[in-house]
Amino acid sequence: MALLEWKQAFSVGNASVDHEHKQMIEQINQLYELLGQPTTAVTIEAVLGDIHAYISAHFALEERLMRTAGYAEYENHKDDHEDLLDQIHELMFSFSENPDIGRKLLENKLSDWFGRHFASFDARLHRELG
Amino acid sequence: MLGLIQKTGRLVFKWPHKWLDEVFGNSLNPLRHLGSLTIFFLWLVLVSGIWITIFFHTSVDGAYESVEYLSNDQWYLGGVMRSLHRYASDAAIVTLVLHLLKEFVFNRYRSARWFSWMTGVPLLWLIIPLGITGYWLVWDQLALYVALISSEMLDALPIFTDSMARNFLSVESLSNRFFTLMAFTHIIGLPIFLVFGIWLHVFRITRPIINPPRTIMAGALLSMLLLSLVYPALSQGKADPAAVPESLALDWYYLLVYPLMKTWPAGAVWLLLIAISLLLCLAPWLPPGRKPAVARIDLENCNGCERCVEDCPFGALEMAPRSDGQKYAAEAIVLTNLCLSCGICVGSCPTATPFRTRSVLSPGIDLPDQSVAMIRELVTDAAQGLKGKQRLLIFGCDSSTKLYDVNDAATAVIKLTCMAQLPPSFIDYILSRELADGVVLAGCANGDCQYRLGTQWTQQRIDRERDPRLRKRVDIEKLALLWTEPWSDFLNPGAAVTAFRNTLVAAKEPSVAPKGHKVLLRPVGVALAWSLFAFAAGVFTLWPPFSQLETGNAIISLTFSHASQRVKQCRRLSQKELNELPPNMRKPSDCPRERYPIKVSFRADNVLMYDQTLLPSGFWKDGESTVYNRIELAAGSHELFIGMSDSGRTEGFDFSNRTSVTLAQGQHLVVEFDHQQKTFVFK
Ligand code: HEM
Ligand code: SF4
Ligand code: SF4
Ligand SMILES: [Fe+2]
Ligand SMILES: [Fe+2]
Repeated sequence: MALLEWKQAFSVGNASVDHEHKQMIEQINQLYELLGQPTTAVTIEAVLGDIHAYISAHFALEERLMRTAGYAEYENHKDDHEDLLDQIHELMFSFSENPDIGRKLLENKLSDWFGRHFASFDARLHRELG
Repeated sequence: MLGLIQKTGRLVFKWPHKWLDEVFGNSLNPLRHLGSLTIFFLWLVLVSGIWITIFFHTSVDGAYESVEYLSNDQWYLGGVMRSLHRYASDAAIVTLVLHLLKEFVFNRYRSARWFSWMTGVPLLWLIIPLGITGYWLVWDQLALYVALISSEMLDALPIFTDSMARNFLSVESLSNRFFTLMAFTHIIGLPIFLVFGIWLHVFRITRPIINPPRTIMAGALLSMLLLSLVYPALSQGKADPAAVPESLALDWYYLLVYPLMKTWPAGAVWLLLIAISLLLCLAPWLPPGRKPAVARIDLENCNGCERCVEDCPFGALEMAPRSDGQKYAAEAIVLTNLCLSCGICVGSCPTATPFRTRSVLSPGIDLPDQSVAMIRELVTDAAQGLKGKQRLLIFGCDSSTKLYDVNDAATAVIKLTCMAQLPPSFIDYILSRELADGVVLAGCANGDCQYRLGTQWTQQRIDRERDPRLRKRVDIEKLALLWTEPWSDFLNPGAAVTAFRNTLVAAKEPSVAPKGHKVLLRPVGVALAWSLFAFAAGVFTLWPPFSQLETGNAIISLTFSHASQRVKQCRRLSQKELNELPPNMRKPSDCPRERYPIKVSFRADNVLMYDQTLLPSGFWKDGESTVYNRIELAAGSHELFIGMSDSGRTEGFDFSNRTSVTLAQGQHLVVEFDHQQKTFVFK
């Protein structure tokens, strides 16, 4: 079963942002699947490295769009992005130290983050970018 | 050769720069704000100029008195404004020249920077005439000299048919209209061009520093006020065309080439000026250099986030509509002729992270000659060779500390173009994978970054104030930022590195607070530095004095225009000739318009002082011939003779006159031709 699922309600009405959200969800799900199989910490770290790069770029773009639109809640939204980037980094090293803890972190914290961020922060963008 | 000149130049800059760094602190050192300081002085000039303009009389008779009024009756305000106007103009030249020299010796004018350099050169051609016309307006003895020499120079250009210089030899012939034209040029014309020129000079680079820091502005203003109060700017006696002062106080900042006119022909002076300007314009290509490969976009990894565009210090990146069909609106494009290959954009791109080990490490934007993947490889290789407990990985840029001699088993150096080329995630990568125990970034001091904003951006990314931010989990204690001066190639950086290595053990910030006595001495140093600057901006307005004339001499000017006789007389056309002409061209007589050249000789005590043949002006050679010459003669009694032939004869003269005069020292005698009486007069 997939960890995250994209819903129409997630749409922010901007084609590139929606596209990237779908990609991100797909990447996270792939990682989750990978964790169900026997894998090495090195592989997981590498997958996380790629995810980190992808998400960084996504945030950069989303932030750009927010700034261009003069979005009032930019600061809060940005802080939440930075927070996730820090978390993914933490996660990368949790895996290399203990894959089980890493898996739990991914299941709980990260899926929480996405659910919360998509539903609250990104959903609010709809009015600005749509 | 060029390298040697630049290196010597850096050596010259080194000591004042170091001293001022100590006195002001690095980022408040005026030598790091020369361009913006020049703009600040121009502001002072503008404000004080407006005050002067309010009281200024734009007429030959009123100008001098109106300026005197400011200096004498209103010395506390108008006088100060006037002095400020003069000294701030001189200070602007000082900072401008230092600005130019600094860009030159630190090699910040070649490659894609040619535009900034080239647009700087016309600013010289605007600001110097601005000063010159300013001195003209005071209409004192110096103004007369300036007017005379300027006119002599302009007369040498094939623009004006009549001699302008003749205007200034007698006050009657100097029209108010001409004076108004000068005032307009100085107060409105040139300033408008200068503002536009400065805008062109800076608009293209990203975030140009237009205003210097407040403390620098305060220091600059106070030093100019001090100079204005101690040495108020004064006039040098009302212009009197009948006398030539023995010695003048010249403003050498603006009038440096004028004394050349005493011995050189005007054409030679122009040639010199044009040669210098051409050399300056061509400097960025002398000798032509090889341009390193510019930044390249990889669309697969670019989503159009625009970070690179924001960070490029040279305006070399732009956003454009997406061209590859991906679901994004925009993509970054490189303007190759503006790109300096500094790599600052690479350090900003979110996909440039060494943690990407599964996909190919190809960021949205990269330098082909030193890609992110290559840097990661360098890091891995270097790390493998490191031994010991305090292994250091140093990133050094080639423009600051030359770290060649840091070479031991526990230290490795990786050379980058600019520190901001390194994405912050590299630091995380190195420390988290324990490739080294400490990382040092050794780049240029802020304000003197070879790539303008590299240091600033790096510092902000590390401080988590700018994207991409250094991640929180990185232990800052294991990171040292070594911002060093651009002359550090003379220093041994080993000491600084050792110091940092020691702090790794102690895990403490190195103490940078200045010692007690230094804190006390700082204000003294600041005051001293600004006083020295005021001195430098003032001294050459008066000294060394310039003498137009050898002591004990007088001047005689030959100055007149004359239309000579025509080469052929008018002739009535015969009826037959008339019939041959088309009806609309028929006229009773044919008058060839060409005139003879005139021949003029001038003798003093039977010694030939001037003997010239002057061609008539105009395309058809039908205009007047103009004589303009200044002759220096010892004071005392002389027999003068002037003769002119205007009929093409080779022997004798058609008009001549002689007189005995006793010339006083500094006297100015004018020889003119009276067209009514058809005779020469000595005035
Ligand atoms: C009125 C005279 C001038 C003013 C007010 C002026 C001012 C400035 C300013 C404000 C900057 C931007 C500095 C920064 O933010 O990094 C600049 C850059 C520059 N100026 Fe000037 N400038 C003047 C004349 C000149 C002249 C005569 C030259 C040389 C011929 C010159 C060469 C340059 C160059 C090469 C740069 C680019 C530096 C870089 O890209 O790092 N400037 N100038
Ligand atoms: S390398 Fe990048 S940041 Fe540097 S000038 Fe070129 S485009 Fe701009
Ligand atoms: S920073 Fe990278 S991803 Fe963003 S626009 Fe520039 S090249 Fe593209
Ligand atoms: Fe978001
Ligand atoms: Fe998002």
